[in-house]
Amino acid sequence: MSADADRLSGRPDRRQAIAALVVSALLVTAALGLQAVRETHYRIAPVDATLLYVESGASANRLALSYHALLADVYWIRAIQYYGDTRLSTSSTKQYSALYPLLDLATSLDPRFTVAYRFGAMFLAEPFPGGPGRVDLAITLLNKGLAAEPAKWQYAQDAGFVYYWWLQDYKQAAMWFDKASRIQGAPWWLRSLAATTLVQGGDRPSSRVLWMQLYETAENDWIRTTSRLRLAQLDALDEIEQLAARVARYQQVAGRFPADWEAVRAAGLLRAIPSDPSGTPYLLDATQPGGVTIARSSKLYPLPPQFARKAGPPS
Amino acid sequence: MARVILLVAYHVFKESVRDKVLYNLVLFATLMISASYLVGQLTAGQDIKIIKDLGLAASAVFGLFIAVFIGVGLVWKEVDRRSVYNVLVKPLRRHHFIAGKFIGLALTLLANLAVMAAAVYLVLAVMAWTQPVLAAAALVDAPVVDPNLLKAFLLIYVQLLVVTALALFFSTFSSPMLSAALTFGLYVVGHFNADLAHFENVVQSRAAAQLARALYYLLPNLAPFDVKAAVVHGQAVPAGYVLLTTGYGFLYAAAVVGLAMLVFARRDFK
Amino acid sequence: MPAIQTDGLTKDYAIGFWRPRPYRALDGITLRVEANEVFGFLGPNGAGKTTTLKLLMQLIYPTSGSISILGRPAGDLEVRRRVGFLPEAPYFYDYLTAEELLTYFAGLFGIRNPERRKRVGDLLDRVGIGGERRLPMRKFSKGMLQRVGLAQALINDPEVVLLDEPMSGLDPIGRRDVRDIILSLRDRGCTVFFSSHILSDAETLCSRVGILVGGKMVAMGSLSEMLAFKVAGWELVVAGIDPATLATLGAVVRGVAPMADGRCTVDLVPECEPERVIAAVHDRGGRLVSLNPLRTTLEDVFIERVKASQAAAPAGRFMPEG
Repeated sequence: MSADADRLSGRPDRRQAIAALVVSALLVTAALGLQAVRETHYRIAPVDATLLYVESGASANRLALSYHALLADVYWIRAIQYYGDTRLSTSSTKQYSALYPLLDLATSLDPRFTVAYRFGAMFLAEPFPGGPGRVDLAITLLNKGLAAEPAKWQYAQDAGFVYYWWLQDYKQAAMWFDKASRIQGAPWWLRSLAATTLVQGGDRPSSRVLWMQLYETAENDWIRTTSRLRLAQLDALDEIEQLAARVARYQQVAGRFPADWEAVRAAGLLRAIPSDPSGTPYLLDATQPGGVTIARSSKLYPLPPQFARKAGPPS
Repeated sequence: MARVILLVAYHVFKESVRDKVLYNLVLFATLMISASYLVGQLTAGQDIKIIKDLGLAASAVFGLFIAVFIGVGLVWKEVDRRSVYNVLVKPLRRHHFIAGKFIGLALTLLANLAVMAAAVYLVLAVMAWTQPVLAAAALVDAPVVDPNLLKAFLLIYVQLLVVTALALFFSTFSSPMLSAALTFGLYVVGHFNADLAHFENVVQSRAAAQLARALYYLLPNLAPFDVKAAVVHGQAVPAGYVLLTTGYGFLYAAAVVGLAMLVFARRDFK
Repeated sequence: MPAIQTDGLTKDYAIGFWRPRPYRALDGITLRVEANEVFGFLGPNGAGKTTTLKLLMQLIYPTSGSISILGRPAGDLEVRRRVGFLPEAPYFYDYLTAEELLTYFAGLFGIRNPERRKRVGDLLDRVGIGGERRLPMRKFSKGMLQRVGLAQALINDPEVVLLDEPMSGLDPIGRRDVRDIILSLRDRGCTVFFSSHILSDAETLCSRVGILVGGKMVAMGSLSEMLAFKVAGWELVVAGIDPATLATLGAVVRGVAPMADGRCTVDLVPECEPERVIAAVHDRGGRLVSLNPLRTTLEDVFIERVKASQAAAPAGRFMPEG
């Protein structure tokens, strides 16, 4: 239908149609503007109650009809959002109380939701304020995953890992690594890892091996990122020790604690201002053992305390 | 112009009144009254909260059904039976007709919700009056006859205006069955809209994440209209929140009604 | 200024979903209706009459061509104020009464009380709706709906009235009433444009007609032009004379048919002089009962044009693809 015919006949022509579409688009944009203002200023729903809708996995399963997987995804997305929001929140009374229920719901609806188990465990174990610090819940979740899929050695490995890293329970860790290594399809190095853990437990080299393995076999960006972070933290710890040695030398020579890195460099003990693997300079702090510490602003802060103090010279 | 729009609107309202839509109000009132009686017999203490929850939820559901089932037929029925011919040849523009239809259903919804809100308040008032012990216990959360409930009702109403606009839009070109399905579909998706914004955290593909974000903006975001739980628990719902959310609803509904006008103005009638 | 004028009005539809073929419902219709005319728009079913009326009322939009009513384009609101429209087999609202419907429509025109009440009452009287006017229209028969339709077409006291099959669904009394209304509209200075496939109505009411076949105007003009009032023969009814005697009248007699009560119908050739034949009958002892000229009827013209049109375009109205 030609534009002329439209105009003559009174039918809104193409130009008027486009104008109408533009007006509608502008109205929607204005609406979105109001929404944005609202989102910055107000947050309404009480997080715990309304997020879940359903209390238990069993009832969720009944209600989901045949859309379990989709609903599992929804709860999974909610879990991430919830975790992120709570982590970023500066409220003094913040809690992660809904994190486990959300993960439980997601994994009840889809018992093979690998990433939910592994992510979930990783961040359930994360200590407050970066996470709820609930190692027990992390293990519970991983056990649930193993019950659904006994062939998933990764869950057993992750459980061993939780004991190793957060609880420093090397015996339990070794037991889990061993259990994992017996599962069909597990990588060869789990067996030696079990042995190493039992013997050497809390040293950095075996930790490094563990994180390296995790990094290389990671199915997912976060697991990879977290592994990279841990490796960087281990490197930082090594570097701090090396720097502490230099500072000790300076104290021997100058008879006092160095005022700044420039002084150490001037004394010929350093080539340049030392920075941690994330690029943030280390700090001189006489109150810290060794005198060197990582900056609070660094991405690697806080360093894992279980490896902070190490007797003996760096290896 | 306003006169013809209001005339069309008045007749939508008149039709709904004569079409026995009002029977649902009787049903609702009966539901509320029997619920308040039964709840009193069965539970220990949570009565007031349950009445409020039930009242708000039932209002939202009844309202939704009115909005959808009348909305999807608003234009379609007239076109299908060709009664629309008689009106469109009178001195009014096609978009006046659409505006009138929308306002008519908006008025119908307002009347229905007002009656339902009144029924809820009446039941609560009776409960507060006849069972002062229960009422005192419930004050932990919120006053029994709580004016804040009106905020929840208001937001339910605005949300239903958005649903009405969508139903009306589909009604201009598609059959009632399909329109109802699409409108309900959008209603459900609208409640999960916020999740679409966080899609990029879970999908690997960049394109999928961008599509999800685009949909998040385009599709109606209906979850924020639901302050039922907050109001029942006595949590503050700031006036600013209500205002901004209402504004979003009005603007979005206006945009959709605009699209309905465009489709209707350009089409032929068989 | 003509009351209605179209110029090359064409309407195409796309038939089919996957590969739509254009279907030409109307092809270059050019018509002209003068003020205060009664124009009959005739054609077989499916010719495009309703399509034309819908285009005139802007219920559908043309593919090309122009329309002007009372000198303004079809979409003009001013036009709608001064025009009345009755659709084919109208349907209104189940939940309204006839009175409420007319009141509603009067309101759309901005007619206020007390004028509105008066007009509604008078019109319902005029179309023959009595006490039923307070019943919901879901109870109305087809004929009653037709009457209501006519009433609502006239609620604004229009200058131009467009009627689509105004007689449909009506019994003979109803049809006579509608005929009377159309004639009274003409007498009041209105222009009436109606479509029909009942040719006898057109013959009695119209000053001009147009014949639409297959989307094309195949004839248009005043009745006198089209029918040419050429005599095709004479029909003579006589009494008191028997067929054998009549045969002696000669070659002017084409046929004789005896009737029940002693009369005979005699079919005469057009070239004869009827006065002479009557005198001859009289001489033979007969008596004249009646004499009627046989003219081409509108039906004859109609059928002839339809046949000619179908012969000219056997492929129908689907356009060639591409």
